[in-house]
Amino acid sequence: MPRPAIRAHSHSHQAHLRQKPQIKELLPTLKRLAGYLARRKGLLLLVVLMVAASSLLGLLGPFLVGTAIDDFIIKEDKHGLLLLLIQLGVVYVFYSLSIFLQNYWMAGIAQKTVCEMRTELFAHLHQLPLSFFDKRQHGELMSRVTNDIENISSTLNSSVIQIASSVLTLTGAITVMLYLSPILTAVTLVIVPLLYVGMNWITSRTRRLFKEQQRHLGELNGFVEEAVSSKHIVKMFSQEEKIAMEFSERNAKLKKAGYWAQTYSGFIPKLMNMLNNLSFALIAGAGGLLALNGLVTVGMIVIFAEYSRQFTRPLNDLANQFNTLLSAVAGAERVFDMLDTEKEEQERKDLLRLDEVSGDIEFRRVSFSYEKGKQTIKEINFEANRGDMVALVGPTGSGKTTIINLLARFYEQDSGAIFIDGHDSSTISRQELRKHMGFVLQESFLFEGTIRENIRYGRLNASDEEVETAARAANAHSFIMKLLDGYETKLQHEGAGISQGQKQLLAIARAILADPAILILDEATSSIDTITEMYIQEALDRLMKGRTSVVIAHRLNTIRRADQILVLNRGRIIERGTHDQLVQEEGHYAELIAASEA
Amino acid sequence: MGAVLSYLKPYKNYMAFAWLLMLVELAVELMHPLFMAKIIDEGIVQQDMGAVYKWGAFMLGTSLLAFAAGIINSFVAAHVGQNFGFDLREKMIDKVQSFSFASYSRFAASSLITRMTNDVTQLQNAVFMSLRIMLRAPLMVIFGTVMALFVHAKLTIILIITIPLMLFFLLKMMKKSSSLFRSVQQRLDGVNNVMQENLIGIRIIKAFLRWKYEGSRFQQANERLMAQTIRVLRVVETTTSVLLVVMNSSLIVILWFGFAEFSNGTATAGEIVAVINYATRIISSLSIFTFILMAFSRGRASSQRIGELLEEPEEQADQRWKGAAFQAGSGEISFEGVSFSFPGSKVPVLDGVTLGIQPGKTAAVLGATGSGKSTLFYLIPRLYEPDKGVIRIDGQDISTIQPASLREQIGFVPQEAHLFTGTVRENIAWGKEDATMEEIMEAARRAQIHETIDELPEKYDTMIGQKGVNLSGGQKQRLSIARALIRKPLILLLDDSTSALDVKTEESLLSALREESCTTIIITQKISTALQADQIILLEDGRIAAAGSHEELENCNDLYRRILASQYGKGGMPYAKASH
Repeated sequence: MPRPAIRAHSHSHQAHLRQKPQIKELLPTLKRLAGYLARRKGLLLLVVLMVAASSLLGLLGPFLVGTAIDDFIIKEDKHGLLLLLIQLGVVYVFYSLSIFLQNYWMAGIAQKTVCEMRTELFAHLHQLPLSFFDKRQHGELMSRVTNDIENISSTLNSSVIQIASSVLTLTGAITVMLYLSPILTAVTLVIVPLLYVGMNWITSRTRRLFKEQQRHLGELNGFVEEAVSSKHIVKMFSQEEKIAMEFSERNAKLKKAGYWAQTYSGFIPKLMNMLNNLSFALIAGAGGLLALNGLVTVGMIVIFAEYSRQFTRPLNDLANQFNTLLSAVAGAERVFDMLDTEKEEQERKDLLRLDEVSGDIEFRRVSFSYEKGKQTIKEINFEANRGDMVALVGPTGSGKTTIINLLARFYEQDSGAIFIDGHDSSTISRQELRKHMGFVLQESFLFEGTIRENIRYGRLNASDEEVETAARAANAHSFIMKLLDGYETKLQHEGAGISQGQKQLLAIARAILADPAILILDEATSSIDTITEMYIQEALDRLMKGRTSVVIAHRLNTIRRADQILVLNRGRIIERGTHDQLVQEEGHYAELIAASEA
Repeated sequence: MGAVLSYLKPYKNYMAFAWLLMLVELAVELMHPLFMAKIIDEGIVQQDMGAVYKWGAFMLGTSLLAFAAGIINSFVAAHVGQNFGFDLREKMIDKVQSFSFASYSRFAASSLITRMTNDVTQLQNAVFMSLRIMLRAPLMVIFGTVMALFVHAKLTIILIITIPLMLFFLLKMMKKSSSLFRSVQQRLDGVNNVMQENLIGIRIIKAFLRWKYEGSRFQQANERLMAQTIRVLRVVETTTSVLLVVMNSSLIVILWFGFAEFSNGTATAGEIVAVINYATRIISSLSIFTFILMAFSRGRASSQRIGELLEEPEEQADQRWKGAAFQAGSGEISFEGVSFSFPGSKVPVLDGVTLGIQPGKTAAVLGATGSGKSTLFYLIPRLYEPDKGVIRIDGQDISTIQPASLREQIGFVPQEAHLFTGTVRENIAWGKEDATMEEIMEAARRAQIHETIDELPEKYDTMIGQKGVNLSGGQKQRLSIARALIRKPLILLLDDSTSALDVKTEESLLSALREESCTTIIITQKISTALQADQIILLEDGRIAAAGSHEELENCNDLYRRILASQYGKGGMPYAKASH
């Protein structure tokens, strides 16, 4: 089946893959990650100090053991040995302590960093324009907060310490080696370029594979989220097999990317082992030649071989860390990608604050399109005075919801201007603007929590009485009292457990509680039975008094009472006036009314 | 946990092979000190370059062998790990889809998602690791101990005592950290949950300016996750430090007794050095144990969570699920004394409902919010099972009929459209896999959406769903109607699915539906819609308040008259007039 949008996406992805990524390309992401860690400089310094301490104590231990044997056991000095063993005990205790402390602090640093990244990602998400969400699957975005950040989390825990200790030992080992024999050091270092070439070869593959794996994981997450939240439909249509098949496709893609990522990255330790052995063979061979020529002593070669082990071990550790680092980078890149997505148009600093709004609204030649080339609304003009009720009428897709979206500045119009109390709304900050608006939208968002908490969402500082008064006004009180725990009834995820209409009653209570100057209702009354609606209508009538309201409604009753009816078709206002005026005009509206009465 | 690990069975040969390869690597590694000694003793000390080259070549040769074994091991281990994960995920999606609604309420969507991705990844990592390094550490310990025993049994006693103790300690800690990791995963569910809620409710959150409030809710979940992760990491690290102290102390003991042995002449200095060397090796392999501890306890926690999901009883396993295939007739529906209440709730949603709908006719269900209308719908395709009473379709008691064969005959249009990510065409054909383009367009025409689709940028190939174009509520509803119509259902269920349509569109839709030959039930709030039906059923608090034609109800039902008045004003009854 053709899927244009996805295909376009993967095209650009592949174009990106064609240029071979190298180790260097990891640096920007790593730097950015390091930037996060650097926020805890003090603790990080302590960790590095502890790493240094444990490295030193780690060397001191074997040295003391050697002295014990050479100087005390062989010389049969019992007192000396006892003293030394006590020293050794102290060294071991401090050694373990320093290891414990570095890990203890690091766990805190790493997890706090990751926690911050999550918070930042979440906060950023709320600054993104709605159009961002139109194009993305929920589960895919969720995967970034969980799967991708978890990758970073597990890496930060171990990598920082490992890298610090490896670098320390490496520097130490090279210093000693250079001191012992510069020639043999040079021979040992021959493996470094080989290592670089090998790692580059592996990185150029694993980097994109890890990223691909995370992407497929995200897509699988998105698919599962969609499938699980549509479980009713799937069951009703007996499409379990279809879902399973489509799942399987994505699952197989994930497996493939995961397989190659894991395989290639598995090469790294093997490569290291091999290079270690090579370096030893080289030292032996070159050392032998040099010894024959009397340039080095045999003892020197033996000691040197030992040190070259000291040299390659941290190198080995570093290489192993590289693996986890790569998977973290893959996760981090996806997280940063999202953090770099542009926020809702940055607002100017000098924006107006509105303490009081009386509720005059004016649309002046407003046009907007969701997608280039397909205008959703064209040159919309209308005015509503304080306390007016404006009804938007028209076939589906004629642009009613869009007008509301623009009024609330969920989207920004392409041209024209919207005025609130005579102020161009683009000069008012979104926060300020929405503060004065109350919403009852098509989808009624309820979250896990009690009914009371859900209503209080309209105004967080409302008292219990105020919540109940609002519920009464919205006619929700009586059904709430019928529930087992009344206002304390816990709503399940997405408000499962109560009916669609009841959800809307709660949404209305919420808007009533918010007490706004401008009220926006989007098909809000459609799932409520007409008797309940009658009560709500009363409540809304009271509520609408003195407030400007913009309503998308399908019922004649509501429309009839409007001060102004705007009839929309294909993004234009084709008729306007009161019910009586429009009926007399005998235009579209009259036809609509006739159709409903036929 | 065992149940989950049994998914490794098909790969046991691969696993054995991977372990074999790991042994080859290990053997080479253990042989290398020997070669090294030969190079030094026979080559360098004797100044014999031939011996240097000979043993050097041996060393390189075996390294290459180990390298090859290692590379192959990478392939094999990745194969096992990834296929294991793949199989688990396949099994899980099948399982989740067979869930009854009771099971769905037990697992939040966000938790199902975490289990299927993050938990599987954790377990996969543990498996991969076990095939690559797991044997290494224990073998190092065993090998080191045996070698030390050979060198000097008496001095090794301390190791024989401490090592089992430490292993026991390790096992204990593994259990503890495993349960801690379990709650880490649970808290990850929590983070995932807030995230999902926010994505679903993004418009409302923006509208009510609640992102700070949501931010603090997220922060709470986030910090809970952080605190628990830190806790478990610290437990693991404490374990390592304790192990280090104890094992290093045994070095001190060896030295102390070594002194006595040396004084008695029962041990040489070389023997003491050797035992110390082996002990050091054992200690250095402890760092791998920490690694294993972490991966395994985490994997164990995840495998328990996966196991929970896999052990959830399947709907199909239910006795009631099995039954005869549905014999499609003309689509007659009858309810006889049907009652239903949600699990755990005492209040019945439906209470003794009896009704009958003639084949090919249309019934409208009216009723207040929460009066049980949607539940009535869910009982027909057996998404819910009644507590009491019998539902018959074409004379067959549906509790004896296989649900899948029943659902095949039902076209369902839910309240919320629920479209899937994909093209318009895919979404309509979603109800009928093998639909031709003609059928798809025909269904779209009947659902009054064809013209709108024709105006979309890529017509039937336009992407919709969670990441698709902006469709209005009414357009989504009509697409979901087309999806139901394409199945040419015997029974069509419309759950208030025309609410977002304007009067005109709804009118043409309903008249198109009248031409379908199916039995139709429409849940609606609008009298104007109900008037198009042959029969109106009025529900009140889960009971049937009245059933009959508009005229019958108007004449004898007070509730109905009130609804009527609420929609058309007290005096005006335009419909009554129009129909006369």
